[in-house]
Amino acid sequence: MLFTWLMLAGCILLFAPQSLTGKLQLAFVDIFRWPLSLGGNVALTARTQQSYDGDLGGGEARLRNYIVNLEQTLDQQRKKFQGLYGKYNTYVWEGADWVSAGVITRAVDGPRNELTIDYRKKKGLAEGQYVLGGESVVGTISDVFPQMRTARVKLFTDATSKIPVLLAGVPNILKGGDGPFARVEQVKTKVEVGEEVFALRKAGFLDAPIIVGRVSRCERNPREASVWDVTVVPACDIQHLEDVAVIIMNPKAG
Amino acid sequence: MRWLRFVILILVATILQKGMLARWDYKPDLLIVLLVFFAVYSHTSEAIISSFTIGFAADLIGSPLPMGPHMISFGLLGTLLAYVHRVVAIRRKPYQALAIFVVGLVAAVLTHLLALVFKREPLPENVLTAVLLTSLFSSLVGPFLFPPAAWCVGIEMNRFQRRSRR
Repeated sequence: MLFTWLMLAGCILLFAPQSLTGKLQLAFVDIFRWPLSLGGNVALTARTQQSYDGDLGGGEARLRNYIVNLEQTLDQQRKKFQGLYGKYNTYVWEGADWVSAGVITRAVDGPRNELTIDYRKKKGLAEGQYVLGGESVVGTISDVFPQMRTARVKLFTDATSKIPVLLAGVPNILKGGDGPFARVEQVKTKVEVGEEVFALRKAGFLDAPIIVGRVSRCERNPREASVWDVTVVPACDIQHLEDVAVIIMNPKAG
Repeated sequence: MRWLRFVILILVATILQKGMLARWDYKPDLLIVLLVFFAVYSHTSEAIISSFTIGFAADLIGSPLPMGPHMISFGLLGTLLAYVHRVVAIRRKPYQALAIFVVGLVAAVLTHLLALVFKREPLPENVLTAVLLTSLFSSLVGPFLFPPAAWCVGIEMNRFQRRSRR
């Protein structure tokens, strides 16, 4: 009898709307945010003992991403200026708001990649908004829990994520992979390894191209040899992100 | 069993799993270890309650997977193991490691299947490798975590041993 009741409880949880049960998961993270982030800090301290393997450090990668974003923005602005010659030209980030948020928990090694963040501003966050980490796009807001000032970020490496990107000057869709990477499938031309991938402008969410990642592999599609499958890795070290920023393009007054 | 201590133990394990261990590439599943521990070292009714409770805890930190699949799979397997333990005692460390490995493997596969069937969660390609590695690490570490877990919840580990000697 005990087993039956508990099994019934499990089934109720399973069939309850995910929007409801998701709040339970977020509430747990919110209640235990301190020990959860403390655990992360301890793990980070332990990992800093590892040998340096020659990759760019967090600070250098951040600066590099910042420069690349500026260059791309400058390029876009130049084109826009040329195209709209004589018209009033507005700085892309004018009027945009940035919400700083701390990372409470992260799941980045499996197929489902997400962050739980703790944001300090009460209003303005909504699903679909872009999240930046280390001056690069890391994902989009997938769930907001305003009462607790907690939100979930679906990373672009998540298996269910799809975001429009600019790869080698051509618009494409970046799909999440089965690990800490994402893929652009069926690209018509070969792309060089190391090429930067930018999140495409999306009305109401992103007004300037921002770097998402870099091409780590480009290989022929196994079914169609004339096209290429491109693997993209994040432009920043998501595993060690401590803070992120959410872009609010059209903040409401008040 | 002391239930307040049980709740604290599960809470600590859950926080460790989601916090500190989440950053490690290769990690054991503490909740699976505890699931096997309670199925082996507590009475059947206690094992059933603890299995479902541990499953609920796994669901709470299982995001982005929906809630429910962990509770059902952990509850089923914990109950099954408790009944198996009535017939075949799992006392030695290698057998305990084997039990953790098998339960970890089956629980993870069942969880992903439930999420796929009822919630249309995508089944990742590398799920088997990830599950195998986690189960392996859990089985290596698990038997050594049993004595501190027993001390925490006030379970006498050698009570089954004494009964078998009579």
